[in-house]
Amino acid sequence: MSKKMVYLLQQLVEDAADHNPDQLALVCRDSRLTYGQLEQRSNALAHVLIERGVERGDRVGVFANKSVDTGVAMYGIMAAGAAYVPLDPNSPPSRLAYVIQDCGIRHVIAEDRQLPAVAALERLGVRLDTVIGLTDADVAYPVIGWTEIGSRGEIPRRRVVEQDLCYVLYTSGSTGVPKGIMHTHRSALSWANVTASEYSIGDDDVLSNYAPIHFDLSTLDFFGGAKGRATVVMIPEEHMKLSASLASLLEQTQITLFYTVPLALVQLSTPGVLDGRDFSSLKRILFGGEPMPLKHLHSLMRKLPETRFFNVYGPTEVNGVTHYEVPGPPPVDGDALPIGMPYDNVEALVVDEEGRPVPQGMVGELAIRSATLMRGYWGRPDLNEGAFYFRDRFDELPEVFHRTGDLVHQDRDGVLHFHGRKDRQIKSRGYRVELDEVEAVLNTHTDVVEAAVYSVPTQDGTTEIHAAATLNRASPATASSLRSFLVETLPGYAVPTTLTVLEDFPRTTTGKIDRRRIAEATTAFSTSGERS
Amino acid sequence: MSERDPRQALREFISHELLMDETVALNDEQELLLDGTIDSLGATRLVGYIERTWDIEVPPQHVTVENFRTIATMAGYVEERMVGGPRP
Repeated sequence: MSKKMVYLLQQLVEDAADHNPDQLALVCRDSRLTYGQLEQRSNALAHVLIERGVERGDRVGVFANKSVDTGVAMYGIMAAGAAYVPLDPNSPPSRLAYVIQDCGIRHVIAEDRQLPAVAALERLGVRLDTVIGLTDADVAYPVIGWTEIGSRGEIPRRRVVEQDLCYVLYTSGSTGVPKGIMHTHRSALSWANVTASEYSIGDDDVLSNYAPIHFDLSTLDFFGGAKGRATVVMIPEEHMKLSASLASLLEQTQITLFYTVPLALVQLSTPGVLDGRDFSSLKRILFGGEPMPLKHLHSLMRKLPETRFFNVYGPTEVNGVTHYEVPGPPPVDGDALPIGMPYDNVEALVVDEEGRPVPQGMVGELAIRSATLMRGYWGRPDLNEGAFYFRDRFDELPEVFHRTGDLVHQDRDGVLHFHGRKDRQIKSRGYRVELDEVEAVLNTHTDVVEAAVYSVPTQDGTTEIHAAATLNRASPATASSLRSFLVETLPGYAVPTTLTVLEDFPRTTTGKIDRRRIAEATTAFSTSGERS
Repeated sequence: MSERDPRQALREFISHELLMDETVALNDEQELLLDGTIDSLGATRLVGYIERTWDIEVPPQHVTVENFRTIATMAGYVEERMVGGPRP
């Protein structure tokens, strides 16, 4: 018998199920699914999606908190030939409505917990053909409950190839609306191959899934885990927020590979949190999304001397592309951790403004060529034009790189070091936020004359978003009402920590808003206890 | 301050201080950690508030999902700590 070729992501699950259907695939709270059950349930879901009219290349929303059903939804959508689009349950309904309409989503997989938000989408005039996963829902949308899906036979095979769309992740966009990053089965599978190989993921591994599925860190957990036929323990939202419960879960579930954001590691390094627990299973900790504060890494590495630590780097557009294994507890006042060396099958170039490679050691923009590269931004030819860098190689068939917007230099050993952004993108709790998006949204408020949004470093090495605004004369708006306006439009991690109303903005000599002077003035203001 | 009803006080702190929205209606059984009402920074501020308001110590190993998932469980935790009862 010939061996089946694996060229679509969900075939990793089929392959694992063929190999050992009883191997545990997903665990979340009190629920668990074996690879056999995961394959069966996602195929049944694919049947229903196809019956409901889902075609190859369609985008299907996943609107749910963490649960094993989320995994069924992702793989079921793929098995139907469609691409999954995560809808963040913590995003305001207006933003979700934008994503659903922008991406042309007609079918959504939800859960009962999201019923109030689904009803809010309906009130906003969002049209959907089917919502799956709701029971007894009082909404006008056609609804199918999980129990009605049951078990079905083989799904009709569709002509889907590896260049087809696998998932679309929406992230902050500088014009005031989010943008969708499109990944194909090819880019997703390449990423699964990279991670399973670089971190030696096998069927005796237990991977964490810390990040929610709208956050690209989750792809390493799910895809690398499936490639390695490993078990993935989804960390419930409530455990993500309390480090004592997170530590307890890591210990109890004997997680062997924990991939997370620096904030979680900072919290785990708090005195008392790890004490008296057994972490002998925890062989590697990977972190990414933003720079890791060294003081906390030092303390954590001393507490977990047997665990290997990796700084993982890569924008959502290219998945992970470089990493750096931290050799030992770093000096707390040392330089920031390097982002390291490119993985195998990745080429990294450092280029100047004109796209010419810079001499070794000079700072330039990082450009990446790899099989994990996205296809592009959904419906945004304007952004796609600037996202790629072409190196002429063969006549009319240039090699394609992604321009990351990240500034780096490469040292003599080929190790890459991060120097910040070319633009005004920052990381807030690991999430990408375009400060220009927050500013654009604030500017849409009818009483706002001008808005300035900027980032302020905090003492513990993270970044806060601050905002200031000038208002129309006699406007009744206050800092508090402006903040409420932002809460209705932006996800929580993008809402400024402080918002100050000013009479007037300081200007540069060329008349531009001087955000640096605003930051200085308002930071002094807020530390005097008058935070607004 | 230690006479204050923990449920009422916690509801006010979460809406006024964490959410900065006095109009928000909080249910005592609402899963605040799961639904994103309280994030990790909010949880840290909440612990500080509980320690100051009721003059009790909240060690890191007590800051768990079991104790902090809802206003009702937080109030239960505060009441147990007030009478000096240990709670792992």
